[in-house]
Amino acid sequence: MKKLLKKELLLSFHPTAAIFVAMAAMVLIPNYPYYVSFFYAGLAVFFTCITGRENNDVFFSMMLPISKKDIVKARYGYVLLIELTQILLAVGFALIKSVLQFPANSAGIEANMAMFGVALFMLSIFNLIFFAIYYRNVKKPGVAAIFASVAYFLLLGIFEMLVFIIPFARDKIDTFDPLFWEYKLIILAVGVVSFIVINILSYLSSVKNFSKQDI
Amino acid sequence: MEYILEVENLTKRYESFVLNKVSFYLENGKITGFIGRNGAGKTTTFKSLFNFVHPDDGEVKVFGKSFKDNELEIKGRLGFVLGSASYYPNKKIKTITEAAKTFYSKWDEQIYRSYLSRFALDENKTVAKLSSGMKVKYALSLALSHHAELLILDEPTSGLDPVSRDEILQIFLDLAEQGITILFSTHITSDLDYCADNIIYIKEGEIIAANKLADFINQYQILEFTKENLSKDLISKSIGHRRTKTGTSLLFNKGMVVEHPHKKVKTDLDAIMVHLEQEHSL
Repeated sequence: MKKLLKKELLLSFHPTAAIFVAMAAMVLIPNYPYYVSFFYAGLAVFFTCITGRENNDVFFSMMLPISKKDIVKARYGYVLLIELTQILLAVGFALIKSVLQFPANSAGIEANMAMFGVALFMLSIFNLIFFAIYYRNVKKPGVAAIFASVAYFLLLGIFEMLVFIIPFARDKIDTFDPLFWEYKLIILAVGVVSFIVINILSYLSSVKNFSKQDI
Repeated sequence: MEYILEVENLTKRYESFVLNKVSFYLENGKITGFIGRNGAGKTTTFKSLFNFVHPDDGEVKVFGKSFKDNELEIKGRLGFVLGSASYYPNKKIKTITEAAKTFYSKWDEQIYRSYLSRFALDENKTVAKLSSGMKVKYALSLALSHHAELLILDEPTSGLDPVSRDEILQIFLDLAEQGITILFSTHITSDLDYCADNIIYIKEGEIIAANKLADFINQYQILEFTKENLSKDLISKSIGHRRTKTGTSLLFNKGMVVEHPHKKVKTDLDAIMVHLEQEHSL
């Protein structure tokens, strides 16, 4: 895995990915739907794949002594690294925000534990849809990005709406940490588990799809 | 005889093209040219050999082992170059090498450096800044630095100027002398005249010849006839034809006795290929 990640970082990494990861700082915006900032990690995934297509990345990889499964593994490793780096950075910014006692977010959920749990879930759905389409035809990452983005923003709308219309969510989930931490910790835990499980299932399905594909 | 590469009945069906039961064998340390016109199936054959596309049927053995069951080990012992170094145009070649070399257990940095120096490759240049000939040389450097025993190259001389082409072919001769087996596709027949020991000829997805180059050429004769001396009987006995300035030239098997007045025409690979590929009927 170390070699595969090294190859991805040396050859597939695009400078825009760093900028998109830095979008984690958007949780510092006083009033903002913070889930939007994590969509940039999804954009980084798309940019990586489209740059890979233009650079004949799959062709080059196939010439190396690595299997198609390894090519998928490398890409997942790289993508998860980007997404988790962005999440961790956002956690850091959320802590700063908490220390500095920013006012409440009136445009969406607070940057709290529950928000990070939901963001992890949404990113795993983005990956699931994106890679399910992408690894059926690596020449068309744009189609995969459209479907995955639509799904992400639908979920974003649903989750933001929930904290407005469900009293429990409004009063206990959309609050500063550590208030009602036990409820939010459960959501975070569900988010972490779903991120792991969905990405594993997505990876296995991608390996299967990509192995069948003619390059 | 033990072969470096054994391909048997390789078949891949597309809607508009069929690679049909392709079989051939490569001997150790020999240079084999894979020829056929554009679209004949050369690249599809290469892609099918190494699972870029999934063959519908057939078996590929490399170094005596099934490719399917020993993919990684075999890939580590061969150099496969599809379309020169047409990847990561904006990356420096040292970055590409850095990423690639970690996958080869037999990577030899000293040999890599010696090839960079021999080919005058500046590793701080990006791929886009390399000429077509330099791209092929870089691809060769990568392949040779992990001690590849078999080199498979898809049209390495395509688009090169005569001097660069000659340089690449001379490198092939040097490598063959060192015992490296080379299979390269081309539609430039003079490449084969210059360096190939053997020839594999593919036409419309089928192998029509897999011989020693000299034997392949020696099995044909080309005779030219004026319009008056050309008969339907002659045409039906020929295996290829071509209109010429003064009449028609026909391709025959060498043993064929022709009594009509005719003129002998130089029978080289180029002429044979042109006659075999002629599509319009007389």
